[in-house]
Amino acid sequence: MLRNLPPKWDLEADVVSIGSGGGGLCAAITAHDHGVSALVLERSDQVGGVTAYSMGEVWIPGNHLAATSDIKDSADSGFRYIKRLSMGYGDDVSILNQAVHGPVALKYFEDKIGLKMCVIRNLPDYYYPHHSDSLAEGRYLEVLPFPAEILGDWQHKTRVSPHVPYALTHEDIFDNGGLANMINWDYSIMSERLAKDERCAGPGLAAYFVKGVLDRSIPMHTGVHVQELVVDGARVVGVRATRGGKDFYVKANRGVVIAVSSYERNAGYAKTLGHQLNPVSMVMPSIDGAHLRLAGQAGARIARVPDVTMLGFHVPGEEQEEGVPLWRGALPFLGLPHSITVNRAGKRFSDEAFYRSVYSALDIIDGGTQTHPNFPCWAIFDSQAREKYPFGSVMPGQDLPEGMGAKADSVAELARKIGVDARGLAATITTFNGYCEKGEDPEFHRGTRPWGATMCGDASQKPNANLGPLLKAPFYAVELHRMAGGGIAATGVLADHHCRAIGWDDKPIEGLYVAGNSMARMDNGAIMQSGITNARGMTHGYLAGRHAAGNPSNLLQKEMDRLGL
Amino acid sequence: MIEAEKSIVIDDAIDSVWDYVQDIRKWANLFPGCRECTVIDEHNSRWSIKVGAGGLVKTVNVLVHVDQWDGPERVSFSYKLETEPVVGSGFYIASRKGTHATEITLKVCVEGGGSMAPMWEAMSKPLLPQLAKTFAGKLKAEIEACAGASASQVAVVTETPSVFAAMGRWLRNLWRAVFGSSKPVDDLIKEGRLP
Repeated sequence: MLRNLPPKWDLEADVVSIGSGGGGLCAAITAHDHGVSALVLERSDQVGGVTAYSMGEVWIPGNHLAATSDIKDSADSGFRYIKRLSMGYGDDVSILNQAVHGPVALKYFEDKIGLKMCVIRNLPDYYYPHHSDSLAEGRYLEVLPFPAEILGDWQHKTRVSPHVPYALTHEDIFDNGGLANMINWDYSIMSERLAKDERCAGPGLAAYFVKGVLDRSIPMHTGVHVQELVVDGARVVGVRATRGGKDFYVKANRGVVIAVSSYERNAGYAKTLGHQLNPVSMVMPSIDGAHLRLAGQAGARIARVPDVTMLGFHVPGEEQEEGVPLWRGALPFLGLPHSITVNRAGKRFSDEAFYRSVYSALDIIDGGTQTHPNFPCWAIFDSQAREKYPFGSVMPGQDLPEGMGAKADSVAELARKIGVDARGLAATITTFNGYCEKGEDPEFHRGTRPWGATMCGDASQKPNANLGPLLKAPFYAVELHRMAGGGIAATGVLADHHCRAIGWDDKPIEGLYVAGNSMARMDNGAIMQSGITNARGMTHGYLAGRHAAGNPSNLLQKEMDRLGL
Repeated sequence: MIEAEKSIVIDDAIDSVWDYVQDIRKWANLFPGCRECTVIDEHNSRWSIKVGAGGLVKTVNVLVHVDQWDGPERVSFSYKLETEPVVGSGFYIASRKGTHATEITLKVCVEGGGSMAPMWEAMSKPLLPQLAKTFAGKLKAEIEACAGASASQVAVVTETPSVFAAMGRWLRNLWRAVFGSSKPVDDLIKEGRLP
C-alpha cells in the first residue's frame, strides 16, 4: 500500500482533471454540474489538447440530431456496427457503454454548455455500404462555428490546429468540391471567419468545452506538469505537480481524472506498447505517456488492441510551436487521382483511398525474409496531381519545396532517384493507368468505399473519384514516414464503465479515472472510425464526472438488462 | 489584386522622418521573426523570416526590392515570397504639413498567383487595411518617440514595429488563414522561441 501524503496541500478540489482536451474538460464540467468542485491542470501553455488538433468529427450512432433530420439510426445499430468490426478484440459491454452513453453525453453538453453541433451531410461510415449497420450519413457530427472572441483572455490560450483548415466546416468544404479541390473553395467565408476568429472543426469543439469551463469559473492551470499521484493506501487522493520548477500538491477529494491522450511522443513506449518503430507524430511533444506512468504508480492495468501505424511527411521549414518539426498526415493525399503509393519493389500494396487498408498493410512482416515488404514506401504522383491538388501545405500548382521529395522527367529516373525498382514501378503505373481507363481497380478496389471517395478523392473525377492515371511529366515521389495515430494508440489504461481505472486484480482503483485516448480502447477493439475519439472523450468525461460526483449513470445496466447481456 | 491605403500625420519634420525610413537594414532589424536579412545591393534584399502562428512556425523567405528610393517624399517597393506564389508592391509617400509635421501615405498591394490566387487574395482582403493602419500608427509612434527621446532609441527600436513589422503581422495572419493555427506568436517571442 502506497502512502505518499504531502505535508500540506496547495490547492484543493473535489475532482481534478489532468489534461484539457475534451475528456478532461468534460469531466470537470460534469462534476461541477453535479454539485462538486473541479479544477483542470494542463501541462502545456494552451488548453484544448489533441481535441483542438483534430478535424472535430464526433461520431455518435443514434444521436438526436440525425433523428431530427429524418435519418433512421439507433444506438443498437451503432453497437452492432462496432461489435462486429472490433473483431472480438473489444469488450461487448464496453462497446455498449459507449453506444448508449454517446447520445446522452452529446445531449447533455448541448443542454448544459450550449454546445452546438450538426450532422455532417453525406459523410458515410467507414464501412458503408459493406456493413449492414452502416449509414450513408447521420453519425458524423461537427460543431457550428464558435466565436472565439468570447473566450476573453483565454481566446489565445485555447489551442488551434496546424493540421486543419479550421475556418471552414465540413459542409463548406464538401459543397465546394471536397478536400481535394481547394482550388474551388469559397475563400470569402474563410476570410470572414478568420477576421472574426470563428473556429470550426477541432479548434471549435475544444473552444466550446473551454467556454463551458469558464462559464462555471472552474480554474484551469496551465504550465502544470503532474509528476505523480498522491495515494493514501488504496485510494488516490491528489497529485504532486511542478510549475516553474517548484513542487505543489493538489488535493482531490473525490477523484483524479487522467485525460492526457496517449504516448506517441515517447519512442520507447511506441515501440514496446504499440509496435511502432520510431514513428513521427503530428501531436504536441507533451503527449508522451504520462497517463501510463501516473496510473501505473497506483497499480492500474493496461490493455492493448490491434492498431495501425500511419504515414506522414514533413514540409521543410515547418515546425510546431514547441520548436519540433511539424509532421503532416498523408491520409487525405494518398488516394487522390494521379497518385499511387508503392513499396521498394515499386508495387502498390493497398487501397490508397482507404487508410485502414494502407496502414494495415504497412507493418506486415514477411516471415520468409523477416522484412517489412511495404516499408519504406513512397507516394508517387504526376504533374496533373501537382496542378490540381494540395499535398499537405504545398498548394496546387506549387513545386515541392527543396528536400521534400524527388522530381524527374521520367518514371525510370524517378525510381532511380528514390531507390525503387524501376521496372516494378513502371509496370505498376502501366497497370494502374489501365485500371483508371476502366474506372475499376480489381487488385485493391480503390474508389469503392464512399468514405474514401469523399475524404480522399476528387468528386469531379469520373467515373471513379480515386482513380486517375499517372501520365504527365514531371513525376514526383515523397518518402512517407511511419507516423503514430495522432493521439489514438493501441495501449491505454483499462477502465470500468464509470471510467474508473482498473487494477491488475480487476478491481477499480478508488479515486482514479481515465478518459479519452488515455483509456484502453476496449470500446472499439480492432476498429477505429474517425470521430470515435472525440465522442469517447466527451462520453468518458461525462461518465467520470458523474461518478466522481456521486451520481453515476445507471443507463448501461438498464440496457444490459434489456438486451439480456 | 488586393490593395489598401492609409494616411497619417507624424509630428516631426519630413527630413527626420526620412532619416528613419531610408535605412532598410534598420527596418530589417525591426521585422518580427526576421532571422536573417541579406542586403544584396541598394535595391534588393532577401529576408528569412520565422513566421509563428500558434501551432505552426514557418520559415518564409521574402525577396524585397526597393523600386525607387526617392526621399524624402517617396519610396516604392515590391516583394515576392520565394516559395509561395504571392507577390506584392506598395509605396510610401511623405509630404510636408508645416515645419514639424509630415503626412505619410502607405499603399500596399498583394497579388496571388497560380491556380490558388483566389485563396491568397481572399485571405489578404480583410488583413491589408489592418496592415496599412497598423503601419501608419506604429511608424508615427516610433518616429515621434525617437525624436523625443534619443536616449530611449534602442528600446523604441526593439519594441515598436515599422512597415515591415506590420507586414510581418500580415504574413502571420495570412499563414494562419491558409494553413491553420492560432496566435501565440507573442507567447513564442516572450519565451524566446522567436525573436
